Amino acid sequence: MNKRTALVGLGLLGLTFIVFIDLVGNWGRLSGGWTNLGIFFEESLWPPDWSVLEAQSYPVCDARFEFTCSVAWLGMVETIKIAFVATMIGFIVALPLSVLAASNLSPIEFAIPARILLAAMRSLPSIIWAVLFMIIFDMGTLAGICAMSFYTVGYLGKLQFESMEGIKNAPLEAAKAMGMTRTETAWLVAIPESANNLLSHLLFMFEYNVRHGTVIGLVGAGGIGLYINTYLKLAQYDKVVALLLVVFLVVVVIDFVSMALRSAVNEESDVDRPTWSSLFLPAAISSAMHPTPMKKEPSGESE
Amino acid sequence: MIDVEEVLVHLHDVAVGYDSPLIEDINIEVIAGDVIAVLGPSGIGKTTLLRTIAGLVRPLEGEVELAVPSRGGLGYIPQRLGLVGNASVRTNIEMGVRVGLSRWYPPFIPVPAKQRTYADRAMEDLGILHLAEHPVRILSGGQQRRVATAKTVAQRPKLVLADEFLGELDDDNVDVVMRTVREAIKAQNSAMIMVEHHEELARQVANRIWRIEDHRLVEELVR
Repeated sequence: MNKRTALVGLGLLGLTFIVFIDLVGNWGRLSGGWTNLGIFFEESLWPPDWSVLEAQSYPVCDARFEFTCSVAWLGMVETIKIAFVATMIGFIVALPLSVLAASNLSPIEFAIPARILLAAMRSLPSIIWAVLFMIIFDMGTLAGICAMSFYTVGYLGKLQFESMEGIKNAPLEAAKAMGMTRTETAWLVAIPESANNLLSHLLFMFEYNVRHGTVIGLVGAGGIGLYINTYLKLAQYDKVVALLLVVFLVVVVIDFVSMALRSAVNEESDVDRPTWSSLFLPAAISSAMHPTPMKKEPSGESE
Repeated sequence: MIDVEEVLVHLHDVAVGYDSPLIEDINIEVIAGDVIAVLGPSGIGKTTLLRTIAGLVRPLEGEVELAVPSRGGLGYIPQRLGLVGNASVRTNIEMGVRVGLSRWYPPFIPVPAKQRTYADRAMEDLGILHLAEHPVRILSGGQQRRVATAKTVAQRPKLVLADEFLGELDDDNVDVVMRTVREAIKAQNSAMIMVEHHEELARQVANRIWRIEDHRLVEELVR
């Protein structure tokens, strides 16, 4: 690092500190904050109230496993359903839009409007989309699906067109020289070349939408968030904590499944297959438990 | 009977380069049946010349006239081969035959059986039929070069532009690849311009040599 870079870095750090101090203003009002948090935690949050995992008293549960009539199960399943449908709708709409927005695949007169459209769709957070769609469709899952789908198109579209812009130039040049159409180039070259990233983004988006299900549910757009909102209004924070822990567990499971799926499409060891320990333990400990095998030589004859 | 030569490429007073010209005053024709090797040290403009003929770079001066169809008439094997690593060998090679179909043929529908046989034959000729369903990314460098060649052979273009495509191949495979390419060129009455670093190899396979020296293209007749 040269002197000039160091000075710029120090300047930025100083500016950050000054702006931070200015924003906080009165530091005195923060006194006792940790104590208050401790009291709130002991009196209201902990231990979580696991009755959310028990069957509700009404309607009468006639399922084989009573757990499936619980608030946590019903809410979580609905959230996962909303997230799944919204992610798939978002993906299907975002894919052609991202091809249009990628500057290496589309002329600039198409790329700019497509980018503006994607930016507009993600500039409103999904909670605002949820409010708008609730006005149209009333409270419930349809508003939730529409809100999540809109946000997903904006967010996923940006991730996708950036992936497509990052692919190697040689296949695109070969396609152009051969006389392939833009549609052929997008379908046969750009999408397969960026497939690993597209799948990775799709799975990330699904996980994001499951997590976000708690937020849009707060405004009545269905899913587990609706129950969280109800318990917040009733000040039953121990039940809220229990539901949030359920969401956390589901997100961890989705993360594991998505890693397994990604490693399946990269079966020739671009990505190492995950182990349970790699999810929960620091990388150094996990790799000591499961040493990485030597990579295979490409199959078939060698030159 | 007069044997009329079919001119496939005509370069009129062309200068190639990016900001400043790398090669100037190029006036040359490519005739059907030609196999041309472009020689010269690294960075002198060989690849830029090829990219200019392929229509990927605009000439700084002059005009490049191509008498080949804009769709499927030109086969291009870039230095990095231009294959889709995540797609199978077959999918890559069928991209070559696809440009022989109408531009409105949907890309998500497999190519018709007749065109599929072109791909099969090219893979068989180049000894990669057994790798047809493998993703390209797992193949060795030499195997990938044979896939890129098969893609161009299956395409059956009028003009082949190849940038150091014989690198990483052993002598036996150079023979196989060049024999296949020569047969394809003869069958289609097409031509090939190849950038090559090894002069000895270039003299074996080409009938014309373009040597780049002092920003000029100098032609040598081999046979």
